Amino acid sequence: MVYNKKDRFKKILGTNLVRFLLIFIAFFMVVPLLWSVVSSFKTNTEYMLNAYALPKSLQWDNYARAWAKSNIGRGTVNSLVVVVLKILLLLVTAVPCSYALSRFRFFGSKLLLTIFMCAVFISGNYIIVPLFLEMKSLHMLNSLPGLSVVYTAFTLPFSIFLLSGYMRDIPHDYEEAAEIDGCNTFQTFMNVIVPISRSGISTITILGILNAWNEYPIALVTLTSDAKRTLPVGLANLYVVQQYATDWGALYAALVIALVPTIIVFLIGEKQLLSGLSVGGLKG
Amino acid sequence: MGNKKRGLKKLPYGFIAFAIIPATVLVTVFLLIPVCRAIMMSFTEVSLLSQKTRFVGLDNFRYMVRDEYFIKAVKNTFKIMLVTPLITISIAVLLAFIVSQCKLKEKNLYVVLFFLPNTLSSAVVAIMWALVYHPTSGILNGFLGGIGLSALQHTWLGDASTALWCIAATIIWSSFGYYMVLQMAGMDGISPEIYESAVMDGATFWDKLFKITLPLIKNVIGITFVMDMSGVLGASYTYSTIMTNGGPNFASEVLMKYIYSIGIKEGSMGYASALTVVMLVISVTLSIISRKFTERSVK
Repeated sequence: MVYNKKDRFKKILGTNLVRFLLIFIAFFMVVPLLWSVVSSFKTNTEYMLNAYALPKSLQWDNYARAWAKSNIGRGTVNSLVVVVLKILLLLVTAVPCSYALSRFRFFGSKLLLTIFMCAVFISGNYIIVPLFLEMKSLHMLNSLPGLSVVYTAFTLPFSIFLLSGYMRDIPHDYEEAAEIDGCNTFQTFMNVIVPISRSGISTITILGILNAWNEYPIALVTLTSDAKRTLPVGLANLYVVQQYATDWGALYAALVIALVPTIIVFLIGEKQLLSGLSVGGLKG
Repeated sequence: MGNKKRGLKKLPYGFIAFAIIPATVLVTVFLLIPVCRAIMMSFTEVSLLSQKTRFVGLDNFRYMVRDEYFIKAVKNTFKIMLVTPLITISIAVLLAFIVSQCKLKEKNLYVVLFFLPNTLSSAVVAIMWALVYHPTSGILNGFLGGIGLSALQHTWLGDASTALWCIAATIIWSSFGYYMVLQMAGMDGISPEIYESAVMDGATFWDKLFKITLPLIKNVIGITFVMDMSGVLGASYTYSTIMTNGGPNFASEVLMKYIYSIGIKEGSMGYASALTVVMLVISVTLSIISRKFTERSVK
């Protein structure tokens, strides 16, 4: 409610102060990333001289060396394999399970749902010791499919929590209509429920991709040979080795190579991810 | 028509079995069973010579309470687990309020930029920030020197008094966007009319925040605080290992990293399991506290 020039001026000032604050914070979020990109184009001497200077010319050979040295190509392929396998397994297990638990009341359904809710708090990181031994006896160590299976198990509780929350709100009319049309449960599920739950399914897919792509401790411990290393593990290895060498340019280039796919995936899926989290993230 | 009593209809047992068995098996085998094994193994120790496992009762736990490294690691873990969410959630709530109340057209852009760090791999974030904190070539010291504050320059990750807090700052950077989105979701449920009538009664920005918003989203704040504690607990290994390797002298060693050292590097599976049990107790406690908040919000 603005009544006179003075109020209007205050309002514009207020709005722009807020804008200034938000831009400042956004800048702070982005600075380390920008700095990494700039540094990746510097020569090693340029880098050590002045952190803030811009490179005189773009040193693309940093990237060539990063690619060769850090096995990034291999690492990326490995991470891709793990992510794809995990998502396939996750969708096949989580979606039907969320449907069954949210729509049907059967013996043990409530208990099962409670167990999944509690399991959300068991991070795979905590149980690395017994998990390692178990994977060893199941011959799942140093295996990309093995890692995918474990990642799926880790993500299942939260995915089921999120998805069953969504599905609980679907009106029963859809299923009744499908039944009248002669569908059995499986057909109803595939042709009616899945399309309706598209947004919930995309949310858990994006979250699943990000979790698998970015995971570090379990991959570090269970993938024992260089050839099988996923991207974060290969990169961390490079960093530790680089501590005593001086090829900063290649290190930054490797960082940027690792960051770019994640940022692209995020920018593509952000609308879906953010709205999915807002709606389903807090429901009990 | 009009038969709403679905519960009385015959349940499609075939479909239900197909639906729930795979998920249940995976979660049981890879989450629940390891938890049980950890508890059982915590009462044993593996003899290095004979490779046989023997029952040692509470010996592991007795050793633990006198293990100074364990005590250091637990202290650090609690420090970071309590302080980080405090700062993260405060920033998240404040910014969520500002962003949802402001009328800027580019609102969504800010949300996306704030959330972006959360999508990056913790290993990559750890490396990036370790380079930022680098004493000679990092931009933090560079910035302080540039604006005339070179007295404040430190070897951030090499100094026992700052190492742990630098890790905390990195974690806050990478996670507050996520919690901001969750807070905004909580605030969405507050109808704008409440704010409008408050403004007509002369409420200021701070009045609106403290007297209207905060009381209404109390439970969301509670749940997200506990979520962040749990998140910090889980993420602590990556940051502590890559950025400081627990140093200097265990100043930034966390419980999770200690478990890895004892179990995977040293191979003392029994003691490592006992440490894991401690970790699980902390986690279960967090889970119980969080369920209290969830129950309250359902009422």
